[in-house]
Amino acid sequence: MRDDEELAFFPRITRREFLKYCGVLGAIIGLGETAAPDIASAIEKLAKRPAVVWSLFQECLGCSVNLLQSRTPSVANLILRQISLDYHETVMAAAGDQAEKSFRDTVDRGDFYYIVEGAIATKVPGAMTVHGETSMDIARQTYKKAKATIAIGSCASDGNIQAAAPNPTGAKGLAAFLREDAGIANPVVVNSPRCPGNAEDTLAILSYILINNKVPELDAIGRPVFLYGQLIHDNCERRGHFDAGEFVEVFGDEASQNRFCLFKVGCKGPVTNAPCPTRKWNGHLGWCVRNGPCIGCAEPKFWDKLTPFYQPVANVTPPGLGGATPTQIGEAIGIATAVGLGAHFIGQVATGRLGKGGPPEQEESSKGSKGGSS
Amino acid sequence: MAKVVIDPITRIEGHLRITCIVENGRVTDAWNTCTLFRGFEIFMKNRDPFGIWHFAQRICGVCPTPHAINSVQAVEHAMGIEKIDDNARLIRNMMEAAQIGYDHILWFYILNAFDYVNVPNALNAKPTTPSLKNVQDQVRAVVNSGQLGPFANMYWDHPGYKLPPDLDLELTAHYLQAIDAQQAANDAATYLGGKYPMIMNMVPSGVTQLPTIEEITFYRSQMDQVRTFINDVMVPDLLTIAPFYIDLANTGKGVGNYLTWGVLDEKSQDPYDRLFPRGGIFDRKLKVEKVDPNKARMYTKYSYYPDRIGEGKHPLSVGQEPMDFTGLDPLDNPGPVKGKYDWTQAARYGDENRPMEVGPLAQMLVAYLSGRTEAKNLVDSTLAAIGAPGRVDLLMSNLGRIAARVLKAKINADNATRWADELLANIKGGKTNVFIQKPIPDSGTGVSGWDAPRGALSHYIRIKNKLVGTYAAVPPSNWNLSPRDDKGVRGPVEEALIGMPVVDPAKPLEILRVVHTFDP
Repeated sequence: MRDDEELAFFPRITRREFLKYCGVLGAIIGLGETAAPDIASAIEKLAKRPAVVWSLFQECLGCSVNLLQSRTPSVANLILRQISLDYHETVMAAAGDQAEKSFRDTVDRGDFYYIVEGAIATKVPGAMTVHGETSMDIARQTYKKAKATIAIGSCASDGNIQAAAPNPTGAKGLAAFLREDAGIANPVVVNSPRCPGNAEDTLAILSYILINNKVPELDAIGRPVFLYGQLIHDNCERRGHFDAGEFVEVFGDEASQNRFCLFKVGCKGPVTNAPCPTRKWNGHLGWCVRNGPCIGCAEPKFWDKLTPFYQPVANVTPPGLGGATPTQIGEAIGIATAVGLGAHFIGQVATGRLGKGGPPEQEESSKGSKGGSS
Repeated sequence: MAKVVIDPITRIEGHLRITCIVENGRVTDAWNTCTLFRGFEIFMKNRDPFGIWHFAQRICGVCPTPHAINSVQAVEHAMGIEKIDDNARLIRNMMEAAQIGYDHILWFYILNAFDYVNVPNALNAKPTTPSLKNVQDQVRAVVNSGQLGPFANMYWDHPGYKLPPDLDLELTAHYLQAIDAQQAANDAATYLGGKYPMIMNMVPSGVTQLPTIEEITFYRSQMDQVRTFINDVMVPDLLTIAPFYIDLANTGKGVGNYLTWGVLDEKSQDPYDRLFPRGGIFDRKLKVEKVDPNKARMYTKYSYYPDRIGEGKHPLSVGQEPMDFTGLDPLDNPGPVKGKYDWTQAARYGDENRPMEVGPLAQMLVAYLSGRTEAKNLVDSTLAAIGAPGRVDLLMSNLGRIAARVLKAKINADNATRWADELLANIKGGKTNVFIQKPIPDSGTGVSGWDAPRGALSHYIRIKNKLVGTYAAVPPSNWNLSPRDDKGVRGPVEEALIGMPVVDPAKPLEILRVVHTFDP
């Protein structure tokens, strides 16, 4: 078939565009761009569009708004051709009992992927209900029926802002809720934290699961290593200025016009693992640190552990580090910072990246009881 | 008598249940119930005021930018800063204009259109262009696949859908185009703010940095695309479909009081001088009065908090603790809703405790009655175009709410590039400052009123020992989606539902329409 011919299964895009998308996909999920034809044929062979159920719990809808900004894939291609978005309260036409019917039709059948946006209210279950059911009941029952489950954004990953001290509603991330409140010993949830969740990265996780029929390798807190294996600091476009000891001291100063390093005005890039500098946001167009200091939103409990946002990461004395390699500096900062952040952080930060070994949660998936065997 | 419960109300931000009593084909009573509580004012305590805006913008992921702006403005007020640098004003306006541009496009097409546009009926159209045929083929492929996805189980056979198939197809095509158009606006915000939603470039007393010339011109070209879409697609769509749904001009009149704190600062930074100026309209009188965010009063008799928390107190004097969740009205309860029924507190205005409608209709009415030329010309010409010249009162309706949002989007988009041009001119003139360096005070009180796209939004802060002592936000939902107040007076959405005809209580399309006109 000619490369400029429109595809039968994806009528509005040409095969060339499709292969390009598959190449991007292959590169980010670690198969390499040369895997594009294989990925393309795997997707084209799917007889039915995979059904997706998307729950909204304690959230602000930011993750879904970011979903509407996706370019790879485009929103229209995603919804009309690549998946069957059977339940998403913001996008679906039906409401009330009819929406509930859409939910039941798919969940009772069981052949679907589950994406959760928002935290689960465990101390005040009535703080989050849909159709009269609590987020606890919906999440527990739906998780059990799903082929694989992804937590998009920091709320579903670890509770996020509503879990900030004193966590008035007992908000929890999905995995913690399933483990601690729903009696599920080793839940398999792929966490895709950040605030909002980065939709294009989360869709890359979904693509990985669809193509490989298994969840990707996860770090100690359930994040895919292929996305969360590097410190923001290590790939930052301002990194050269850090190494040269060139810092913004006050917002709006001459250094800020020169786009010097934001470390001294509070940037949390040195202690945050996420692909923001490379994958970027909103169609890979921009990212936070181009315009302000990172607040560390990919890290658990960042509202409590990485605040105040505009104070430098604790116990680090830059600059004077010029000449050292980026990794050495990352390690120096990581170790020094970990002292101030408590034991929980040490393992992650000291190595500059999170553990490579699969967490206990992943073992269940390799047995095939969860994780997308079709 | 039939009781209609719609839970969840879909195509909104947030979690909402609507309960109505329908008698003889009309709504006779109504209750709105927000079914989500997070507790922002509780966990924002004892934090650094300088960074508190990052918390505040997470109140709403659809409209984080006005929450960010209100939060930094409230802190600035407490710091004693009366005016920010002109460049910072322009950059905040640019962020807000992008927010409004995306938000109203998102609402008109992605959130609202399915109430009027019958997607399956587009298959009966005879497409006149290759691109329309292409869209029809896509819809047909989805329908033929048997996997209807987001289009499943809607009341597509409802007689309330009035458009001919060709228009259903065209509007479906515009729905897909709207996805690109809202992306263009958010790309503009991303280039200046880092990402969207949840921007990074605000700080109390200014913004983080001066954008480069390249960034400003990128913004300008993106917002030019947004303007083109609104002028060439969205406004014509409004005028095309309005005649089919003209009966909506006779329903949804609501409480008849309108409130806006204003949005988009001109050089004076005076809220009454804004592009959309501050003002209130009371008892449907076509006259604007001055209003003050400190005159908001909160009630909790019907909210899930103890009664004593509210009782008409100032937002900084009410709290969210302790909670008092007394349960939801059971889905099978046939009677009226009794007792507490909402996580939302009821906001009322002034000593007379008036329920106030907020949103683009309030913003456009206040701009019109304040003599703003753009608003006046647009409203007058639109009323003439639908055959009702001079009938400003017709705007106080369901259709008026829809029209006002589209017209406001146009004025916003027409002005967005002006902020960019003023910023470029400032830079050319050697003005590069964007930030005033000043410490957070030991104590102080601040307030800000700056509308979100969906309506009046105000933030309040009391600083104690350099930390947040008390924080309060009164978003549009506290006004539009307020439950009854202590005297039993309904909120604006509840009131707008009263009298709405419902053809079939099992398919309450009309109720969805009324609720959606408020962009809840």
